[in-house]
Amino acid sequence: MNLQFLADGLITGSLIGLGAIGVTLTYSILRFSNFAHGDLMAWGAYAALTLLGLISALVGSVAPIGVLSFGWPLILAAGLSMALVGGMALVLDWLLFARLRAKGQAIIVVMASFGASMALRSLLEFIFTSKPAYFSRAIQMAMPVGLGIRVTPDQIVLLLVTLALVVAMHLFMERSQTGREMRAYSQNPALARVVGIDVARIVRATWMIGGGLACAAGVMVGILVQIRPLMGLDMLLPMFAAAILGGIGSIPGAVLAGLIIGLSESAAVQLVGAEWRAGVAFAILMGVLLIRPTGLFGVAER
Amino acid sequence: MTAILQVRDLVAGYEPGLDIVRGCSIRADTQEIVVILGPNGAGKSSLIKAIAGLVPVTGGQVLLDGQDITATPAHLMVRRGLAFVPQTDNIFPLLTVEENLRVAGGLPPRPESAPRIDPMFALFPDLARQRRLPAGSLSGGQRQMLAVARALIVHPRVLMLDEPSAGLSPKFVEMVFARLAEIRRSGLTIVLVEQNAKAALSIGDRAYVLVEGRAAHEGPARSLWDDPVIAELYLGQRRAS
Repeated sequence: MNLQFLADGLITGSLIGLGAIGVTLTYSILRFSNFAHGDLMAWGAYAALTLLGLISALVGSVAPIGVLSFGWPLILAAGLSMALVGGMALVLDWLLFARLRAKGQAIIVVMASFGASMALRSLLEFIFTSKPAYFSRAIQMAMPVGLGIRVTPDQIVLLLVTLALVVAMHLFMERSQTGREMRAYSQNPALARVVGIDVARIVRATWMIGGGLACAAGVMVGILVQIRPLMGLDMLLPMFAAAILGGIGSIPGAVLAGLIIGLSESAAVQLVGAEWRAGVAFAILMGVLLIRPTGLFGVAER
Repeated sequence: MTAILQVRDLVAGYEPGLDIVRGCSIRADTQEIVVILGPNGAGKSSLIKAIAGLVPVTGGQVLLDGQDITATPAHLMVRRGLAFVPQTDNIFPLLTVEENLRVAGGLPPRPESAPRIDPMFALFPDLARQRRLPAGSLSGGQRQMLAVARALIVHPRVLMLDEPSAGLSPKFVEMVFARLAEIRRSGLTIVLVEQNAKAALSIGDRAYVLVEGRAAHEGPARSLWDDPVIAELYLGQRRAS
């Protein structure tokens, strides 16, 4: 058996995990499954692509960093896009979700997120067409790293970036006051108000973080694969499977589960055939819901 | 004596047209322990939740130190100086004991918060020993202590508690009430809703008996306990011999 699947699975899995952090936070704090989360990823990738075009138009072409396929303009564009998509998530909440949440029926908010997802996706197709786009046309050579595994420099760097984002996110939730308040709110929203936690601030932080991380994951998929309006939709099921397998509300859980799903997917490609890839996340999702609905690190609802 | 908390003709309820608090007036003076008693369904809980901004208020007024705080959003009440300890689910079980104290609104960030947190651990040594454990692992009495500590940490002027004795063994009830009496000496006003009339009246200064959403009787805690008619009619129990 070729061990290449390990590298592929690790990279896909870390991106799934990064996206799943946003899903798990929205689910545990705002209490609904946001089906538009994947589209925030796609919007993030296109936002970065557009900003990259603007920056290139302003400063001319910039040489890539070392052996990577991209230079500082893409890093800058990605950073700005993360803020933009975080802001976009806030606008979406203000326009749509907050109004429906106030009515108190979670299922309506979920349905609204389906609608938002379709609208956001169609808007991307309308603006950018459904033709795939790329940050760079440069072709990267994969380097052998032993055991028959080959990885590109981009893959290694982005894996490290993902790791850094996940660690930063974990520290933020554990150590910062906002992180503590977010955890408190997810455990007991009514008590959070009583002890003086500003709910509006928690909701804003959740969207900013979820949107920002979705954007980061989208840009990375764009760098490693390609940019398409449907890229977010394709990631949606694996991200939900990771959020649920990891245990709703658990960030380490979401990331670990993302890796498990990524590895299972790429193993399945090799063992049973590429056409079964998408079925893996679904099988895992069903299995978890049937056997251990609280997931790896989840806590049963009181 | 000046009234620190004054509630005038308060009307409140969860749904329009279904008022649970129906024109209730009470007051609490500085450093006083006021006990609110009454039969089940009299609206005791709803009354203090309405004062705390958790039940929609449709009429009347709540004044804290002369300032109108009627229907202030619940999360701002703490900053105004009014702390509330709910009856159940009053801690965050997955947060550590110390984190439970840290999430209290209006607490300054570290390191300035340390001088606020340490006295709480001095007041409740049980909690200090378990400060790094999830609060969910605490016993019922310790949870109640933690909830009280979290309310006190923001230095409120008025502390309101909804049945702090509920679900506790007699030993713990005694401990909780002894602590409350102690805390009052630091200059705090306490409003206490209780089913356990005997324990509450033993530390209370003044008491109200709520009937159908109104304060039907008011008097010094001691005399209320000694009044056989009130004891039988409204406290739902015979006077202890």
